[in-house]
Amino acid sequence: MSLFVQQVILGLMLGGVYVAVAIGFSLVWGVLNIVNLAHGALVVVGMYATWFLFTHAGIDPFLTLPLDAVVLFAIGYLVQRGLINRVIRAPLFFTLLLTFGINLVLINLFLLWFKADFRSVTTSYSGAGLNVGAVTIPYIRLAALVIAMLLAGAVGFFMNRTRTGFAIQAVGADKDAAQLVGIDLRHVYALTFAVGAACAGVAGGLLSTVQAISPTAGEPYTLQAFVVVILGGLGRVSATVVGGLLFGLIEVLAQSQVPGLGAGWSNAIAFAVLVLVLVLRPQGLLGRLA
Amino acid sequence: MLELAGVTKRFGGVAALSNVSFTVAEGEILGLIGPNGAGKTTLLNCISGVYRLDGGSITFDGRRLDGLPPHQVARLGIGRTFQVVKPFASMTVRENAAVGALFGSGQAHLAPKAAFSWADEVLELVGLARKARLTVGSLTIPDRKRLEVARALATKPRLLLLDEVMAGLNPVEVDEALDMVRKVHAGGITIVLIEHVMRVVVGVCDRVIVLHMGQHLAEGTPDEVLQDRRVIEAYLGEKYAARRHG
Repeated sequence: MSLFVQQVILGLMLGGVYVAVAIGFSLVWGVLNIVNLAHGALVVVGMYATWFLFTHAGIDPFLTLPLDAVVLFAIGYLVQRGLINRVIRAPLFFTLLLTFGINLVLINLFLLWFKADFRSVTTSYSGAGLNVGAVTIPYIRLAALVIAMLLAGAVGFFMNRTRTGFAIQAVGADKDAAQLVGIDLRHVYALTFAVGAACAGVAGGLLSTVQAISPTAGEPYTLQAFVVVILGGLGRVSATVVGGLLFGLIEVLAQSQVPGLGAGWSNAIAFAVLVLVLVLRPQGLLGRLA
Repeated sequence: MLELAGVTKRFGGVAALSNVSFTVAEGEILGLIGPNGAGKTTLLNCISGVYRLDGGSITFDGRRLDGLPPHQVARLGIGRTFQVVKPFASMTVRENAAVGALFGSGQAHLAPKAAFSWADEVLELVGLARKARLTVGSLTIPDRKRLEVARALATKPRLLLLDEVMAGLNPVEVDEALDMVRKVHAGGITIVLIEHVMRVVVGVCDRVIVLHMGQHLAEGTPDEVLQDRRVIEAYLGEKYAARRHG
């Protein structure tokens, strides 16, 4: 029993990481209609940023998160304004190709600057955890879950309470009508992508504390963000939270409870969830049919 | 207030508008009529910055509009509705109007709270106050048209461009919509409206401009224009006009 409880807790904590990774991906997809294949690479930018600040400036990895967000916000704004805006009105295939290309460029820049070495962020509290009976809750993963939920709350607040949030929602709903009430489309596109990238940066900072950092470490996360958004439903923060937590649970429980499924099966599990959701409930658990 | 001089717009080889000139005076309600395909909506798109002109100029209070992107035209005080309604479907009625208030003319720094209270006033004016909390999906067509007007009004325009807000409404609904237009106008807003419903044109317009095949065909009071032989020809054909005018 306690093993099962342990797995559920680990699943939710993994889910928290997925929530953090998927929030920005979902925002960009929902508003800009871009399936951002470079999202995982942006997460890796956050990882390296935290690693760099931790290793060279001795800053606690959790304190680097706001810096990650700022750096990625700037990168995101420039990428959208300078590159993606040029093809934003073109069919989905063009933005897909472009973000695929950006992904390749980023990965090769990482290789150039950081080499292919695996790097890690190991703090004094890295191995510690909270023991409740037979169940152990690792501090770092608990903190990652809490921060992911705070991030989700912050994005939700931003989208539903602020001027810029309303502008982003309006652009997502109808671009033509949005510009004719005075919204500057190109600026809002860039802001949306910047916010999405900032979320990826925070997710990367969190991930740097729990896994090895390498140029291609972000690859699985693009896929997983995609599955989370499909599972939860597009366009709402709450849907991403539900999708992310549930997906984390599914992955951990499937790997631990189903005989024959081990860690190597994580992509297979992700795709199985993807296919099942698309067959049974294509709009996602909390999504609305368009 | 608004001055169009030699406005020309081509799509490929087709001249959707050729050399259209007219002015809109502060405080009037100007009707824009013409058979389907005459270029009425194209003209509104040119004014609101959706299309770039191929010739001519548009000035608003002495400022050139042509070449400005749509959001800047909106911020100068020109509101606009769409013939086929374009609500922000994921939002409530109140939020739709509030977005107009957040980003419209001279409102660039209106805080969300102030925007929502202004949205409430606008919804009251167009008769949607009781439905403010509903999502757009549950609104009837006449209500969606009201919402279009509300969102445009929320931007605090000085000039409002209405693209067939009465189309598809039944006679009772048309009367209600007419009341709404009069109320908006009484609030000091200059209006240019595209309309096919002649009862509306005669009912509210001070002056009418007739477009036909992209050209300025006639101009005058509603009565003058509807008696005009060229206008009748354009709508009903030369034979009918000949019979009527003998």
